Amino acid sequence: MINSIVNQFKQRNFLFGFILILAAIILIGIYKPAVLVEGLQRSALYALIALPMALLLGIVDIINLAHGEFMMVGAYFAYFMSAQFGMDPIVSVLPALLIFFIFGLIVYYLTFKHIIGKPPLNQLLLGFGISLILSEGMTAIATNAPRKLSLDYVSSSASIGGVTFGTFEFVYVAGALIVLLGMQLLLKKTATGQAAVAVGQNPRGARVVGINVNNIYLLIFCVSIALISAIGPLFMTRYTLFPQMGSSFTLKSFSLVAVGGMGSITGVVYAALILGMGETLVLSSLKYGKWAEIIYFALIIGVIMYRSHQRQVK
Amino acid sequence: MNVRKIVRVMVAVSLIWGALTTGALAAEPIKMGAILPLADSTGKDGSRSMELAVKQINEKGGLLGRQVKLIMMDDEMKGDKAAAALDKLVTVDNVDIIVGGVGSGATMGAIPGMKKYGKVVVWIGGASGKIEEAMAGQDWFFHLHAWDYQQGALWETGYLEMEQKYGIKRKKTFMAYEEGAFGSGSFKAGKPIYEAAGNELQGEAFKSAALGGGDYRSVLRHAKEFGAESFIWTGYDKDALPIMEQAKEIGFAPGLFVGSPPGWPVDFKNTPLNQAVMFYSYWSEAQGVKNKNSKMYSDAFRKEFKDDPVTYFGPLAYTNIMIVAEAIKRAGTLDNAALIKALEATSYASPMGDTFVFKKSKIIDHQAFASPKIMQWQNGKAQVVWPWEVATAKLIYPFPAWDKRDKAAVPAKKAKGEKK
Repeated sequence: MINSIVNQFKQRNFLFGFILILAAIILIGIYKPAVLVEGLQRSALYALIALPMALLLGIVDIINLAHGEFMMVGAYFAYFMSAQFGMDPIVSVLPALLIFFIFGLIVYYLTFKHIIGKPPLNQLLLGFGISLILSEGMTAIATNAPRKLSLDYVSSSASIGGVTFGTFEFVYVAGALIVLLGMQLLLKKTATGQAAVAVGQNPRGARVVGINVNNIYLLIFCVSIALISAIGPLFMTRYTLFPQMGSSFTLKSFSLVAVGGMGSITGVVYAALILGMGETLVLSSLKYGKWAEIIYFALIIGVIMYRSHQRQVK
Repeated sequence: MNVRKIVRVMVAVSLIWGALTTGALAAEPIKMGAILPLADSTGKDGSRSMELAVKQINEKGGLLGRQVKLIMMDDEMKGDKAAAALDKLVTVDNVDIIVGGVGSGATMGAIPGMKKYGKVVVWIGGASGKIEEAMAGQDWFFHLHAWDYQQGALWETGYLEMEQKYGIKRKKTFMAYEEGAFGSGSFKAGKPIYEAAGNELQGEAFKSAALGGGDYRSVLRHAKEFGAESFIWTGYDKDALPIMEQAKEIGFAPGLFVGSPPGWPVDFKNTPLNQAVMFYSYWSEAQGVKNKNSKMYSDAFRKEFKDDPVTYFGPLAYTNIMIVAEAIKRAGTLDNAALIKALEATSYASPMGDTFVFKKSKIIDHQAFASPKIMQWQNGKAQVVWPWEVATAKLIYPFPAWDKRDKAAVPAKKAKGEKK
């Protein structure tokens, strides 16, 4: 991981961009300290949700349009564990990891296994179908009624220099760092991770050199589903739960992976940082707050134009 | 068999067939088609209350010698679903009358279908003035809810009275509203009313959790920086609890904290964060102390469902069915013209605490609604704090600071001229 960062530092564009982001963050921190804290927390949440998609889409080229819906199902799991057994949602992250790894296994064998290597449209349609099944299925089971656990710790706060800010959302920062490091270790330090990268780059070549391509697809799919579903309990501590809550996060994650660069886990984190900080900064303006959504589109369009320009230069 | 004999047999068969089919028609129930958001707390209370009303009507022998059948459809608060539900009720179920309604967006979706079929519609939801405009000249449309501009003006009257009684300060009001038609429409309707009362009003839109939002901290910070004495948010039930959590997080506790969702989420009554949150409504179960119809309704609801109605759409939906039932009785037929005439003669003492009589509103011919009330969550219960004649509790004012909650959860001490 360190070597990778050093290598990227050597690239002038990356260094320039990094310095620009850092300078912007420092300036924001001086100008509006609350924006710095809340922007960081928002960015971390975006990164946390997008990282499992980065693993699946960026590394092994599987498009899962039901990404947000798996998070929604994980969140409902935590809600019912709390309602039935009094389990704290943060504790339910651990059983969720195991249960949804198995759930991912079932989903993979029943559905995604059959469209690996097929045109992307098949994956899109399948993902869309699964997302509908999950959200409508949850509506049938739990109804459309919004649910929200009243947890005292989610409104915990601290004050520094007259600025009061929430402290609970640093859970998302910690979560994003853990998932990021875990993924980097998996992909860079383990044979399975390196095999996954190889499968993503050239499945046929990987098969020729003896990698069990099917097992790699299965493993990465299950890890991605387990991760996003286990993020659900963390998400629902702060946000209201309802069956349609996932779809907007699927689109946001998809865009962050595209902006961060296919195959670049750290790129997704940087993209989340720009998006989260940018949105929070714009939202902090009473007059221009309603334009926050434009950051999302500006980021996508900007990156597409930049990459297109880079290709033309080359 | 000669020809005469064949004719006799045919006549006999025809007579028997006619008698049988007439009997069958007589036994055919009167069908009421209801459209409600069934998973929402408003729809849940509404559907149960309609079932209760129909059960009571059928136990007393039904209407026009026929039983009443209620066919319920879910609009999920969405216009397209409401339109599809209406199509199905009219073309497949062949209902005699349309009832129900909660959200303005869903209502807007159903309006083209309502106009196409021209069935009598007695509608309890949709406060948007745009609905009133769309229904201009439709004599078959009866509306049992106040329009947004009416309710804004009436609640403002309440605030003015409370200002005098409790010494409320609200010169600086901040209104946070969800960026969709519901929120921005409410802000536009409320702005001139607030400003006419001499208040400084600041408004800001937020992205509702229903549309992928859920972070309200920047809006709450703006309200805090503005020095809001009164904070009003207009959004959906999905926003309710996170707004309170995030207000606590940043230490924002204005003198008046007002929420204005169409209905509160089921978990809201269980949170200690709800204490002293005010809201607008038309009914509270607590009204049963002063109103016998309200008590009878609540008791019957509790007996039937082992649960309490939590939104005003419960008694309003009950009122909806009862008004229709009484009109059918008066009309003696299901013919549209006779039914419209009978509905126009309505005078129904509702469990909402008011007698419903249809009058002309600014645009439509038939509107009746309960008097608006200002409510406040107190110890997990919704209490009426205005109008005085139906008030069930004293106002808790100011909204207790977050770090002094336990000590502050007592009725306002500032009441002027109030007997101790």
